[in-house]
Amino acid sequence: MTLEGRGIVCNYGAVRALAGVDVRAAGREILAIVGPNGAGKTTLLKVLSGERRPDSGEVVLDGCPVSGSDAAWRARIGLVSHRTGLYEKLTVTENLRFFATLHGVARNGRTLTATLEAVGAGGLATRRIEALSRGQRQRVALARSLLHAPEVLFLDEPFTGLDPEGAAALERALATRRDEGTVVVLVTHDLRRGLRLADRVVVLRRGRKVFDGEAIEEGAGEILDRFTAGAGGP
Amino acid sequence: MQELRWIWLIARKDLSLEFRAAGRLLSMIAFVVLAGFLFGFALDNSQVSGRAVVASLIWLTVLFASTAGAGRIFDMEEEDGAFRHVLLTPVSRRAVFLGKTVANLVLTWLITALSFVALTSFLGVRSSGSLAAHAAIFLPGTIGLSATATFFGRMSRHSTLGDSLLPVLTFPLLAPVVFFGATASARVFMALPWDEISGLVRLLWAFAIGSVTVGAVLFHQLTDE
Repeated sequence: MTLEGRGIVCNYGAVRALAGVDVRAAGREILAIVGPNGAGKTTLLKVLSGERRPDSGEVVLDGCPVSGSDAAWRARIGLVSHRTGLYEKLTVTENLRFFATLHGVARNGRTLTATLEAVGAGGLATRRIEALSRGQRQRVALARSLLHAPEVLFLDEPFTGLDPEGAAALERALATRRDEGTVVVLVTHDLRRGLRLADRVVVLRRGRKVFDGEAIEEGAGEILDRFTAGAGGP
Repeated sequence: MQELRWIWLIARKDLSLEFRAAGRLLSMIAFVVLAGFLFGFALDNSQVSGRAVVASLIWLTVLFASTAGAGRIFDMEEEDGAFRHVLLTPVSRRAVFLGKTVANLVLTWLITALSFVALTSFLGVRSSGSLAAHAAIFLPGTIGLSATATFFGRMSRHSTLGDSLLPVLTFPLLAPVVFFGATASARVFMALPWDEISGLVRLLWAFAIGSVTVGAVLFHQLTDE
């Protein structure tokens, strides 16, 4: 399975957020899109996921165009972002059941518990989201994104605010999804983490792609450092 | 069938959130009761009888309270970006709109019942017509009101003007609902025959069906970038 963005152009009024970006993410690999703030990373992720229509260009999955207005496409994707997107007044189980039903998948209590345990959130099922720590919420958000076994998983700065234990759990979960054949697209400003996790890296700067290659290429870190100067990250 | 399931799911979720965030509902109830209390004081009974104005005051109270509530339903969605995740599921935008309209409608019914009791009590008015006749007028009126407020509640969230934009957008559109509703309700209070009321109720139903249909068809324009 291959997800491609071809010649993506996006404008916010007079500001060009993406200027003809080509990007390709294949199954069994993690693609990291990195770059400094304002580089166009999140816009590119929104275009790839179908949340935003590009002003020009197209997104194709295995050669077939996909669009956010297509419910069948939305059924095949999952998203984890820095905002967890969970309802604070509902319990973990109520949140997961709500989204599972919207996705049209039946999930009984045992399956939900298993999904939560898989992301290191076992034992949280009956607690309200407002009572959870940032790290716990993010694990529940990850569980929510995996409920319907998406074929393409998008992650938009998912490590923001996570403690080391939570970050490690998320990294393990991503590696598992990758090994199971899921296309994983990770947007992060954290260059080092992107390089460590990803199989391929795309660097954006001012809406343009300035690097696209294997994360393990010799000297990739130095090249990326040069291209993402000012991007931050440890 | 799937569509109905989604509508029910979204409405139930919104109502759960509303009832669990009790402060919001309590403030709405307090507004209705205080409005009735103040209207009772403000009216000079020696010049104007309560029976002559009670219907208009009920409809205006319902309009103000329910319009304020419509925006809040989307505030709850934006608290931690939940709406983005809802829109990324296969759920249709039509079902999202209808689910939220149903949730708004239930809350509007609560407000309507409370307004009716509060205002008739504070103004010392007893309806000569039946409660069923009142319900037959409020049903289409509140459906139209809730659908319109839901649609523009979402639209106002797109604007930097936020809550202040909602009355500007909705009140001109809802003026006919208030006019037809208040006139019909006043005639029930005066126990006029149904023949003199049914035409207004038909207009309220036409507005209700129109606003639900237009909202369901156009809602995706407010959700998709």
